[in-house]
Amino acid sequence: MEEREIAFLTIPFGPQHPASGHFHALLKVDGETVLGLEPHPGYLHRGFEKLMEYRVHPQNCVLVDRADVLDPFSCELGYANAIEKIAGLEIPQRGRYIRTIMAELGRILSHITWIGVLSMVLGFDSANKIAWGDREKILRLNEIATGGRLYPCYLCIGGVRRDISQEFVDETSKALDYLEGQLSFYDYFVFKNETFVMRMEKVGRMSAEEAIDLGATGPNLRACGIDYDVRKDEPYEAYPEVEFNVITREEGDAYARSLCRRDEIAESISIVRQLLKNLPDGSYRVELGPECITLEGESYFCLESARGEKCFHVVSDGSPCPYRVKIRAPSFLHTLTEFPYLAKGSTIADIPAIYWSLDSCPADMDR
Amino acid sequence: MISDIESRLKSKFPDSLLNVVSKDKRITFSVKKEKFYSILSELKDIGFDHLSDVTAVDYIDEQEFELIYHLWSHREKIRAIVKVRIPREVPTVKSVVGLWTGAQMHEREDHELFGINFEGNPNLAELFLEDWEEIPPFRKDFDTRKYVKEKYYQEDEQYPIVKG
Repeated sequence: MEEREIAFLTIPFGPQHPASGHFHALLKVDGETVLGLEPHPGYLHRGFEKLMEYRVHPQNCVLVDRADVLDPFSCELGYANAIEKIAGLEIPQRGRYIRTIMAELGRILSHITWIGVLSMVLGFDSANKIAWGDREKILRLNEIATGGRLYPCYLCIGGVRRDISQEFVDETSKALDYLEGQLSFYDYFVFKNETFVMRMEKVGRMSAEEAIDLGATGPNLRACGIDYDVRKDEPYEAYPEVEFNVITREEGDAYARSLCRRDEIAESISIVRQLLKNLPDGSYRVELGPECITLEGESYFCLESARGEKCFHVVSDGSPCPYRVKIRAPSFLHTLTEFPYLAKGSTIADIPAIYWSLDSCPADMDR
Repeated sequence: MISDIESRLKSKFPDSLLNVVSKDKRITFSVKKEKFYSILSELKDIGFDHLSDVTAVDYIDEQEFELIYHLWSHREKIRAIVKVRIPREVPTVKSVVGLWTGAQMHEREDHELFGINFEGNPNLAELFLEDWEEIPPFRKDFDTRKYVKEKYYQEDEQYPIVKG
């Protein structure tokens, strides 16, 4: 009998928004089984790191927002801190508290958005609409404090752009109370829903060793039992002054990653409440002297964004613009190393569940 | 712990460490190119199991690239930073994919944006850019503004016109 080469079918995943985001992958399949996944990023590559070399530091604080659409405060915080480290600036206590509040609200915002998109790709549209409505509560807080909803441009070198008002404090308390109530609703509606559990449990499983080797961070790593959280391990801003738990799980599958994020929302609510309760008086920003215009030095600052470890490496050679900025984006590894690894051997139907259980943001990946 | 690592590396690689700075929970090594792989491999054995990032900086005045490897130890909760300078004319180094699988994509990105060759990396195909024919765009001698002007603006035009 004549021998024939077996041809496998190649099917595309993405780049439709919002199911896969601005990300495209090619799946090589044998029937239902995925034999391999080839990622094709670049749809949102704007080259921020290079663009920042043409702009002065205060301009970059605004530009860097766009590097992570769903969690912009983490980018602002990272860049501002990296520059402050070179300049040797001390931020006033109130400024640090406000920054931490915004960073945690950003985490809640990102995680709630993620609940919405994950529900949607699992064919669960009602949860998507409800999550999108709840997300609005945080966007409203952004607007009160900063004037911007999605791109706040709020954190700047030396502190924050303006003080928070009593209205913001009251509205935040109300929103947090509401969201805490919504969490038990999400438990009932999404996380304990039988269909959801069946779609997520034992899907996309990785061991702690595999996760470390692939460079996983954030909730994806913590779902494998490793308690790496930059907020605890290399504390910054006001995190040493608040009490919170690092959420870990042992299973390492898509369901564990989902529950990690769900519990992190509760932790973040508790952190914001503590900070609001102990909010110190005083100045929220330091005056920048001429020494902050031209900086010389190099700094490396890491923080825990909603998706994991985000680091800023800034080299400044004494001119008003940075010489080189490197953003270590957590989604870069979530999508480009973990996702192909987990997709191999799974089925086509599990691909969206695995992809969104990793909570990757294409804007963050491409930069 | 930091001082243990410092003394262990100093005794093992006495001629290859150019500079060592340790501060708080961070230790920074500037190392010679010849031994950088052995040093990274030694650090992996010590317990730096997480490769956080591989950054490249183009020091065009000195005609050198600096590669910066950011490592983290999950057990000891400390960070190690290894810096190595390579000549700009022949930007070739050994890949560290054998030590950390996650390095593959970092190296692929640096290859695309800086044109650095990582020997032993299984896949250095284009990542973000499509059909790129210019010099690697993150190098200092690539002028983004000039490129955009020439490619997307016609002469004396204020607004961009996309040429076919």
